[in-house]
Order: sequence, then structure tokens, then C-alpha cells
Amino acid sequence: MKVNGILIDDTFAEAFGMAGTGVIITADTMKWARIAAVTMAGFGTSVIGAGAEVGIDRELKPDETPDGRPGVRVLLFGFSPDSASAQLKTRVGQCVLTSPGSACYAGVEAEKRVGLGQGPRFFGDGFQTAKRLGQKRFWRVPVMDGEFVIEETTGIVTDAVGGGNLIILGNDRAGLLTTAEAAVDAIGGVPDVITPFPGGIVRSGSKVGSKYKGAIASTNDAFCPTLRGRVKSELSPDTVAVLEIVIDGLTSKSVADAMRVGLKAVIDMGAAKGVTRVTAGNYGGKLGQHHYKLRELLP
Amino acid sequence: MSGLTFRLTSAPKERLDLSQLTPRKLSSTPLAEVLKLNVGSTKSGLSLGDVFAVSGKPGDTVRIESGSARLDFVGAELDHGTLIVEGDVGVSAGRNMRGGRLEIKGDAGNLLGSGISGGEIFVKGSAGGQVGGLSAGDKFGMTGGLIVVDGHAGDRAGDRMRRGTIYIRGKCGSFAGSRMVGGTIWTELGFGTDPGLLLRRGTLIGPSVERMLPTFADAGRHDLVILRILSRYMSATLGAQAPKLLPTSVRKYAGDLSTVGKGEILLTA
Repeated sequence: MKVNGILIDDTFAEAFGMAGTGVIITADTMKWARIAAVTMAGFGTSVIGAGAEVGIDRELKPDETPDGRPGVRVLLFGFSPDSASAQLKTRVGQCVLTSPGSACYAGVEAEKRVGLGQGPRFFGDGFQTAKRLGQKRFWRVPVMDGEFVIEETTGIVTDAVGGGNLIILGNDRAGLLTTAEAAVDAIGGVPDVITPFPGGIVRSGSKVGSKYKGAIASTNDAFCPTLRGRVKSELSPDTVAVLEIVIDGLTSKSVADAMRVGLKAVIDMGAAKGVTRVTAGNYGGKLGQHHYKLRELLP
Repeated sequence: MSGLTFRLTSAPKERLDLSQLTPRKLSSTPLAEVLKLNVGSTKSGLSLGDVFAVSGKPGDTVRIESGSARLDFVGAELDHGTLIVEGDVGVSAGRNMRGGRLEIKGDAGNLLGSGISGGEIFVKGSAGGQVGGLSAGDKFGMTGGLIVVDGHAGDRAGDRMRRGTIYIRGKCGSFAGSRMVGGTIWTELGFGTDPGLLLRRGTLIGPSVERMLPTFADAGRHDLVILRILSRYMSATLGAQAPKLLPTSVRKYAGDLSTVGKGEILLTA
């Protein structure tokens, strides 16, 4: 069907169950909380190649953080609690512990817990101390600008969802990017989700498998405009570029909400920016447990 | 807020053990049996009905309308519900508490909250020695929970304390935090002499110390994030009764260096 001049495919996004956890990073200023968060989320695009999908959920005002300083909530998704926990440990140890003035707290409240400060505390070389307040335990690790405070554990959920997506096609590359940016901005207002790729947008959508041994994924040739005519293309003759927004969320509802507001943002921009069509990636519905039908997400 | 109310019919002639007067124990005991409970501390066999008038029905709250420094072990083993005492209590109030809330509107004797592992104790007046400390045979003193004393506290508050928080709006006596293994003691009006004697780990916070042990090292002034967390924890727990936020900069003394030395005294003034 066409909405505001844009063709919306009658298809669905196919997403997978994942383990999702998160942290709240605070610092003396929002600038430094963001620096630590961006560093931690770096190289956290695809769980296949990066080990985890990591991104900023939202910024937190001082009255929303455990220590009353500006903060950022970072979410991290992995194949399993064990793999997510390992990524959390190394990323916090290398990117948050090292950042001036930082502190790190549980960002997900759930019954199942994974270690947060249980690894970085050993950086204290025996000078670290613990402080238990109510049900929470914090580690104080001496560092060169004072103390790094880190909560002992954070929550992890095993019914998180990874791989919600919108694929946007257009006849103007610049206009398409502007539209995708607007969709990512809108998704940024939805709690409990991240868009882990650069700027929330991926231009190298992949298919499963490759002609080369050892490569488990390769370029999605059916959506590559320059291969039109050489392969069985999914693209109409006027399509010059395709961009994808991948969404991970702590709950299936949050992913659906994010896709809904993203789709609305694209439709609100209309065809004027050169967007011609919106579709979604799936594997025929046989691999992923979660299906998000575009027509059910229309505004 | 249903529950039983107890009122002294006369001043106790001997020390009374009121450890049985908790919501859980009273809810499972018929009233006739409650009145027969032996609460005396001598051979006289004093029963509860001899010294208390009882009214109300069992519930989550127990109220003792009259106070006396001879009411010992009030709220001992409390694990849920609320116990309110309208006056003074004797020794070992809140002994081995695991949960719930104990409110004492008067003064408390020695060993308030000894061995407490959870729950909250509030004292309107002052408390005797060894608040959150340990009794004979115990390995540790307080291992969790919160004790708030609006008045002053006697000597050796937090003796061998391991976890939890003691907040004294008044002044702490001497040797606060002696042999302490962890936890926090916070006084608004300062510590007496020699706080932190043999302190292994844990935090003592106050504006001043009457005499600092020579085995504490001046570590300088610092802005400690953990104090912001502590202030917010107290605000969340105590609401309008919470203390003022701690200052961003405090002077830290590390010790006791005659033992593990991972403890600290933080001076707020």
C-alpha cells in the first residue's frame, strides 16, 4: 500500500531472542558521561562480528542517577547471558573505568544478575573497598583522579529482542539519509531500545552465507543498486540507495514501539525527500521468534 | 494498622524480657497464652499479664504504650511488621532483628540493635553504649539494616560492625567503630575520643573528632562519589527525616593502620 507517496511492503521484520543488560554511566558533566558511553558502545554494532550490540538508550538527568550527577544509560545485547557478561566486563573495564570522573551502576533491574564490578574491582590491587547500602553493593576502586565507583551487579533479561528493522529505499541518496536520520531520532525517544549501527543506520545489510569459506554473512546483493541487472534484484529501476535501521530492545513491545515511531517518521517526511518504499528484513519467518508486520505498525 | 497494645499497669519491679512481643510471635499465640508468657528475670515467675494490660487484636503492629529502662530485648528477633514503644527501653532492643521497623519514642539502653541484620530502628531519644555492637558469643555486631538515633550515642557504637548504617543526629561517644569490619557510622555532632580503634574496614563520618588515634593517616581532602550515593540512600530511606546532603569535599583519614587499615574517618567540617 502507498502512504504519503511511499510504498509500504506487506511484509514483516524477523527478530531474534537475545540477552539484554545495561549500565548507567555518570560523570562530573554530561560531556564526560557521554564520552565514556560512546567509547563503551564503540565497535558494538553486530553481535556476529563485534561480540555484542551496544548503544546509548538515553541521557539521564542528575535526579535520575544513583549519585545525582549527569548520566547516560547504555544497553548491551548478546547471544547469551554469558557472552553479554563477558562483553560487559571488558567494555566497562577498558572504556568506563578509564574515563575521567566516571562511575558505573546497574542499568537494568531484573531478577537475574550478572557481574558488573566483580571484575574491574580487582584493578584496585587490594586497595578497593566495598560499601553496601540497602540491597545494593558498590565497589570503590582507587584511581588517579580519586575513586571509581561501580555497582557489584546489574540485571540481565533473557527475553530481549535483537534485529527489529526497517529497510528504507529511495531515489535520492542524500534525501534518503536525511529521512533515515529522522527515523533514528524518533526511535531515540523510545525507552529500552538502541539502534547499534553508526548513527543508528546501516548501509551494508547482509544475507546469510557467502561464496567464500569462513564468511557467515555477505552483502545483501538483492538490495545493492549497483548489482541491479546482474542479480535477482529486489529494487525498482529508480532506486539508487537503500538504508536499514536495526533495533534491539529489552522487550518485544519496546522494539515494536520503536519500529512504529520510526515508520511514522519516514511516512511523515513523505516522498518529497526521495523515499520511495519501506520494507523489512526477514528469513521467511523460520528463524526468528519475533515477527513485526509493517502494516500493523502503520500510524 | 491493627495490632495488640500493651500498657504497663505498674512500674516493673524487675527487669523484663520482652523478646516475645513481636507481631509474628503474637499472631501465632492465643491471647490467653500471651498473658501467661514469662517475662520476668528472677525466680518470681512474673508473667506478662501481671505487669501489662493488653488490648486490640493481633496484627502487623505491636504497640507498647508505656516505657521503662527495665524493658529489655524489645523487638528482639523482629522480622516483619512494626513495633512501637511510647517511652524508654532497656538493653538489647532490636537484638538480632532481621526485618521490620522498631520505633522507640524515648531513650534506649546499651546494645541497641546488637546483631541486627536487617530492618530499621528509630530512637527519638539517646542510646547507650555499643549501638549495633555485639553481645557475648557473637562473632560480629550489626551485619545489616539501619539504626537512627535522634539524640546521642554512648561509647563503642558499631563495635565489630560488619555492614549496615548507623546514623546519630547527636554526638557519638568514645571508640566509635572499634574493631569494625565494614558498614557506616554517621554522626551530625562529631565523635568522642579515639574513634576507629582497630578499624579494619568501614566508614566513620562526622564533623569532628575529639582526639584522633595516631594510627590514622591524613589522606587529604576529596570529593567522594560514594558520599553522594550515601546521601541519596538516606533521602530515599528516611524521606523528610533524612539528614542534609553531605558536603562534596571531606577530609579523609585512613586507618586503623595498626590493623588492615582499609577503613576511613571522613571529616565533613
